[in-house]
Amino acid sequence: MNCSTAIERLSPYVDGELHALPRILLARHLRGCASCAARVEELRRLRSRLRSELPHHRVSPQLQARVQTLLATLPMAGAPKGPASRRPEPAPRWRWLAGSALAGSAATLAALLAVNLVVNRIAAQDIVAEAVANHVQATLGQHLIEIASSDQHTVKPWLSARLDYSPPVQDLAAEGFALLGGRLSTLHAQRAATLVYRYRFHVIDVFVRPLPVVAPEEKRSLRGFNVAHASAGGMDFLAVSDVNADVLGAFVARLAAGSPGR
Amino acid sequence: MPARARFEEEVLPHLDAGYNLARWLARNAHDADDVMQEACVRALRYIDSVRPGKARSWFLTIVRHAFYDWCKVNRPAELVYDSQDSVAAMADSVVIDPESAALRGVEARRLAEVVDALPLPLRETLLLLQLEALSYNEIAHVLGVPIGTVMSRLSRARAALLEVTQEVQIRRGRV
Repeated sequence: MNCSTAIERLSPYVDGELHALPRILLARHLRGCASCAARVEELRRLRSRLRSELPHHRVSPQLQARVQTLLATLPMAGAPKGPASRRPEPAPRWRWLAGSALAGSAATLAALLAVNLVVNRIAAQDIVAEAVANHVQATLGQHLIEIASSDQHTVKPWLSARLDYSPPVQDLAAEGFALLGGRLSTLHAQRAATLVYRYRFHVIDVFVRPLPVVAPEEKRSLRGFNVAHASAGGMDFLAVSDVNADVLGAFVARLAAGSPGR
Repeated sequence: MPARARFEEEVLPHLDAGYNLARWLARNAHDADDVMQEACVRALRYIDSVRPGKARSWFLTIVRHAFYDWCKVNRPAELVYDSQDSVAAMADSVVIDPESAALRGVEARRLAEVVDALPLPLRETLLLLQLEALSYNEIAHVLGVPIGTVMSRLSRARAALLEVTQEVQIRRGRV
């Protein structure tokens, strides 16, 4: 093989796109040709720089909202066709945290925790540590949110498509907890749906998994993060955040209370 | 299944990939948003033509077509591609700021600027390979060109990038 033939094949060679025979012929040429070999090195360096240095742009909240507006003009997911296909209005929301309701939600949390859970303390500590580590890693890195949307009808199908269960998803923006989106996490070597909420300036991760799981204690703190937990409707909700423990406990109880059994 | 549900299932997971392509093609966020809005309208309209497992390249193809149609109206000059003068023009279009050359982040920004200055056909081919990690075959499919064209565009894009980054270094006096 001469240099002018070789040069045309250097790019596919670096990309691993050459078939066996031309690859072998080119490799043989490279052993004997210093200038083509040097060119391959340049191309490899360029390839890895492009991969690591070029920004990967993500959809802005404004565009996200435009897409949702566009979708809102269409019938809801799963609704039957026809003019009278509007979804029934959701039941009025339980006004939690209003007035003296805080005490009420704490009682609900206790009741939820009493439901048939085997508490294995060691395994539970493990899962809390894993959840906190996952939360810290996600908030520091680029992968906090893989599907960005405040619409539960967007986040839920995205997660369901990647899991063998369908996690309940609710936006509680009206109550101060805005749904930002979701991601997939791994807890106890199993995939877990993770919902991401914002409360004031705090990020809250909620890991949603089907029961039975080893339940952690109802409230804990670890490495400066609070952890709260509740179960209902066959699902376990584990929340991790730096918001204060009472608010987090009430929030996770509210999430569990709002999810109908399936 | 209604269009909205299919869109949510098939397209929404690839919204960021589509946006990234639109953003690199249009070179700014505002125009990229417009292109994406149009792409989503089209994706909804043709949602029944998605084949299983092909949603990503299907949506990227739609985004690309939406961009080209937008370009015909808004930036017709960009669709005229002259391969001869491109490298010289690219080197000139990269702003040189020796003061901050020591910063690594600046190096990265400069590389992005050089990619931005690539002629459209080379830029889109390179981006589908490097940012979306498509195979040559998938790229050929999205761009609607033979695989040989993909190969030669990648070779030319990289040759131009190497030439320009080296020239920029020489002009900065750091050979």
